[in-house]
Amino acid sequence: MTSPITVRELSKTFFDEGRGEIRAVNSISFECHEGEVFGLLGANGAGKTTTLRMLSTIITPSSGSAAVLNHDVVTEAEGVRRNLGFYSASTALYPRLTARETIDFFARINQYPAARVDERVNYLIERFGITKYADSRVDRLSSGMKQKVSIARTVAHDPRIVIFDEPTVGLDVLNALEVQESIRQLRTEGKTIIFSTHIMSEAEKLCDRIAIIHGGRILACDTLANLRTSTGEHYLEDIFVHYVKDPSDPVIRK
Amino acid sequence: MNWSVFRLLYVHEIRLLVRARRTIVLAVVLPALIMPLMLLTSKYSNDQRAQTLTDTTYKFSIVGPLSVRIRGLVEKTREQNPKSSKSFKFAEILTEDPENSLETGDIHFYIRTQTGEGADKITDGPKERLSGVPLITVVYRGNQDISSAGRGRMVELLELARQRDTELALAQHGFTGDPRQLFVISTTNLASGGQVSGLTAGRFITAILVMMMLTGGSVAALDIIAGEKERGTLETLLTTAAGRTEIVAAKQFAISSIALAITLIQALNFFVYIKLNVINLPEGFHLELSSSMALTLLLLFAPLAIMLGSVLLMLSAYAKSYKEAHLYFFPVYLLGLLLSLASLLPGVPLRSAIAIVPIANVSVAAREILVGRPDLPMILLTFLVMLGVAVWLMRTSSQMLSREDIVLPAHAEPAEFLGGRALFGKRVLRWFALMWAVEFAAAANVPYLATLQRQLIFNEVVVLLGASLLMIRLYKLDPRETLSLRGVKPVVWLAILCAIPTANSAAVAVFRLANIFIPVSEELLRGTSEGLIPAGMPQWQLFIFLAVLPAVCEEIAFRGVLMSGLRHRLRPVTLAIVVGLIFGMFHMTLFRIAPTAVLGVALTGIALLTGSIFPGILLHMGNNAWGVWAGQHGFDPDAMKPWQSAAMISIFALSMWIIYRSRVQPETNHKRS
Repeated sequence: MTSPITVRELSKTFFDEGRGEIRAVNSISFECHEGEVFGLLGANGAGKTTTLRMLSTIITPSSGSAAVLNHDVVTEAEGVRRNLGFYSASTALYPRLTARETIDFFARINQYPAARVDERVNYLIERFGITKYADSRVDRLSSGMKQKVSIARTVAHDPRIVIFDEPTVGLDVLNALEVQESIRQLRTEGKTIIFSTHIMSEAEKLCDRIAIIHGGRILACDTLANLRTSTGEHYLEDIFVHYVKDPSDPVIRK
Repeated sequence: MNWSVFRLLYVHEIRLLVRARRTIVLAVVLPALIMPLMLLTSKYSNDQRAQTLTDTTYKFSIVGPLSVRIRGLVEKTREQNPKSSKSFKFAEILTEDPENSLETGDIHFYIRTQTGEGADKITDGPKERLSGVPLITVVYRGNQDISSAGRGRMVELLELARQRDTELALAQHGFTGDPRQLFVISTTNLASGGQVSGLTAGRFITAILVMMMLTGGSVAALDIIAGEKERGTLETLLTTAAGRTEIVAAKQFAISSIALAITLIQALNFFVYIKLNVINLPEGFHLELSSSMALTLLLLFAPLAIMLGSVLLMLSAYAKSYKEAHLYFFPVYLLGLLLSLASLLPGVPLRSAIAIVPIANVSVAAREILVGRPDLPMILLTFLVMLGVAVWLMRTSSQMLSREDIVLPAHAEPAEFLGGRALFGKRVLRWFALMWAVEFAAAANVPYLATLQRQLIFNEVVVLLGASLLMIRLYKLDPRETLSLRGVKPVVWLAILCAIPTANSAAVAVFRLANIFIPVSEELLRGTSEGLIPAGMPQWQLFIFLAVLPAVCEEIAFRGVLMSGLRHRLRPVTLAIVVGLIFGMFHMTLFRIAPTAVLGVALTGIALLTGSIFPGILLHMGNNAWGVWAGQHGFDPDAMKPWQSAAMISIFALSMWIIYRSRVQPETNHKRS
């Protein structure tokens, strides 16, 4: 069985007036397995968001290839997006829509069967506990409520792949825990999840496999148990430091 | 295009816009209220002013040695004209210091009388006054409405008094007839009241509409892209299954819908307030607007709405934030408004080159429709021009919104990093815009540059040559490659020598020919053949300032630096047209822009074909020197017979053909960097 997400030698180069040429992502390769939570662990500026933006077709790769459910991210971008839900700290909601309208719009625009949209919207409203404020405008909701609406709109079209790009950035502990719980629930529904974070404890708790990314390169990619064995370190923080300090010793198991 | 996705997105955009209070206020409420408000305010202020001026008692004083005589004359004239006495009330106030009384508001104006002897001593008195003639001066304050109105009425009265005094004097000298019966003057206006009102409305309708479209449309456009970018909702939208084409089309259609809605609201306003006379219009304002006229206007305004919508969308997309979009909006607003005021230009009919200038053509067409003299073929041409521009702008904005750096503005373009030639290509147009602005501002505001020599030295040497050399240094350009400093085949020189005496005449002839198909105004035709030859300048100076200096500096700037900066971005034909047009724009006089642009296109073509700047310099210099010679010797290209024109065009065409046959291959023409 082919992996739902395959990435081969993927690179992205930007140009910045102050810093010059930046290889935000430098020839990375990995695969995600069906139904797993795959973690991209890296510091700020490591290349996590750029990788996930390329996978969700917002930006195009400078070189290399990537496919989501066998749809190429460059040539079959719409096919990719139909099967993918993308959630990040920078993706916002429309302030002038209600929670219900938001979920409804994203279900329809992602081509969820029209006859079943109402049923799906009601299901998500109930599931994420947003019934009380379903008909309130988003700009009148608290940040915790917005978070729930945001996750609900991400999975409005019931995608097989869900990308979470640093979903807990800026959230308080309780809201962050709710997001983590949502990710766990989605895994139990059989969705394949890519989850990027710079918070070690989150990766430790949620991910089946972890890729350590630094300076645009993947330095290690394995299960937490195998990473512990390879490095002789117990804590993920120490494992991370181990690879980042000595990037010449990559352990990548695809 | 997935139409169901497009429809969904369009409804979504409109829903978001409609829920924004400021969009509703600026795009619906304001356009709906502005016309009745303007009409009511205009009527109210006119009525109020008339009432105030009628009710006011104009307080004045009479001072000077002829006070008694003038007072008597004024009173007598008022008695003999009871009609004027009733409508205007005057009251004389005695004062020692009339100037101070006028200052403090105790009087509205005063009459200063001077005897002939006294007036003769004044050096700055009226020039038409003969020696020994008494002088009556009405002193008033022009910044006060009542003072100004009182002055006007008193002057009328004094003129009447003078006329009666003249009649009396004539009678005393034996002329017994009534001088008013020598002949009677009357005027007849062939235009209907509706046509006169149409002229007033037609002058401003496009400007008002453009102003409202830009104001209302900008709120929508800025929110729809720049606002979404800032809020982060654009990225959310881009992760959905909707294609970029549908997203862009929906946004574009939403903004155009707002602009169209504003147009329709204005059409409705016209119908309700002017055709149905729902409110009392200002006195004498009766607009005759038939259904066909209204429909024609709507047909012209529809592509205008789409065009402005696309421009606003591009502006919003280009900006990295809402605030930045606001900064870009102002110059676009000014330019749009400036073009829409073309209807105010006297003597410019639609049957002229203005028909191909977007927005300006609609402005003039609207005026002609409203005065009841629509020129249907030219209106059709205007419609086609506007439609073409609207479609082109829609395509351009779609392409622009598909660019990654526009969608995610955090990423700078490679040129910003690479600098040098790559950055030069991106910045060259900004440089020329700045150079144009400097020349324009200096010509208008620096008295030192009033003489032709100084102005030419400043424009040609300081601005054009100086900025060109600065660009070469700043962007580390190779001067030889940038300025196309290469030798050419001997036959090219021969062709250029043949082209020199024929270029100017050929341009005039081409314009005359073009005039048959696209009528060009007489001013424009005169501008083609008129020279710029100041009197009294020595021959050698004329040659240096009008031939050598422009040829060298302008060819370095336009066919050297500008052409080099744009050649990697534009195809040769487009490049020649763009460089030619910019060259024309630098010749500030309105009616010289087109002929110089034509010359600019030809010179750019020669530079591209020969791969060298030198033939252009010779032709430019020769052409200008020929113009000077022709002007001095009374040679009028307009007076040429058709066969002479044909011969000139043939020789010029032959020269161009020789240059074309001797062209260098693009590979050797320039090296790609």
